[in-house]
Amino acid sequence: MSKELILMLHPTFGVLAIIASVWVFVEALNASDANIVRLRNASVLAAILMWSAYIVGGYWYVVFYGGDKTLIKAGPWPFAHSFFMETKEHVFLMLLLLATYLPIAAYGEVVKKSATRNLVLWTSALVVLLGLAMEGAGAFISMGAKVALLANQI
Amino acid sequence: MTTHQAGAADTVSAKVTGYGISYAVTSILSALLVVLKESNEGVHGLMVAITGHHWVTHGLLDVIVFVALGAVLSRMGGGIRMTGNALIATVVGATVISGAIIAGYFI
Repeated sequence: MSKELILMLHPTFGVLAIIASVWVFVEALNASDANIVRLRNASVLAAILMWSAYIVGGYWYVVFYGGDKTLIKAGPWPFAHSFFMETKEHVFLMLLLLATYLPIAAYGEVVKKSATRNLVLWTSALVVLLGLAMEGAGAFISMGAKVALLANQI
Repeated sequence: MTTHQAGAADTVSAKVTGYGISYAVTSILSALLVVLKESNEGVHGLMVAITGHHWVTHGLLDVIVFVALGAVLSRMGGGIRMTGNALIATVVGATVISGAIIAGYFI
């Protein structure tokens, strides 16, 4: 598998994890005995997808990112690494734990207790917001590499 | 904080509470570890030595602390309990503070 394909899988899994978390949020809004199994399945799916994004992205970061890092730091957008990548790689660890916590919360008494239902709503919303922030940071990092390559051509 | 202090209807289960607090604590510790390893060559070098990459070690530590602390808090004294609102505030607050520490450090 080419390293570019591995890199593409990272945001793909990330977006799918965000969509699964939105799904959990919507199911939690209307939590009942009729949809609790679906809610819990979606929460497990969100966690699996986030772990997939972490493993694939982490592998690419550890094995291949070194060259891009040098390129970005020497280019017109060094902050794409020094701020966006550094922040992203560490905030992602929080997001991973939060996505892992989502099914733990979803397997609580979501239907019987509004407190647990609200917790699932907040947790899934945080996963969505942090996930979108990660996607945005990834866009800055890609653009940082792109403008560095363009600057080298001129 | 305990079952006796919070109404049963407003509390969440011991497991959900335990892992929620564990997430909050791990999240804050993880953010502080970012500052520590980035500002201390010795700590950074030690984390590299453990797995070959500081970020891999960091992730591994986060997962171990989250799982271990969550398991302990879920069982401690029959399980720690909080009201739902307090737990939500803890989880959201820890996420905001940790994110601010990390982003603030790299600005």
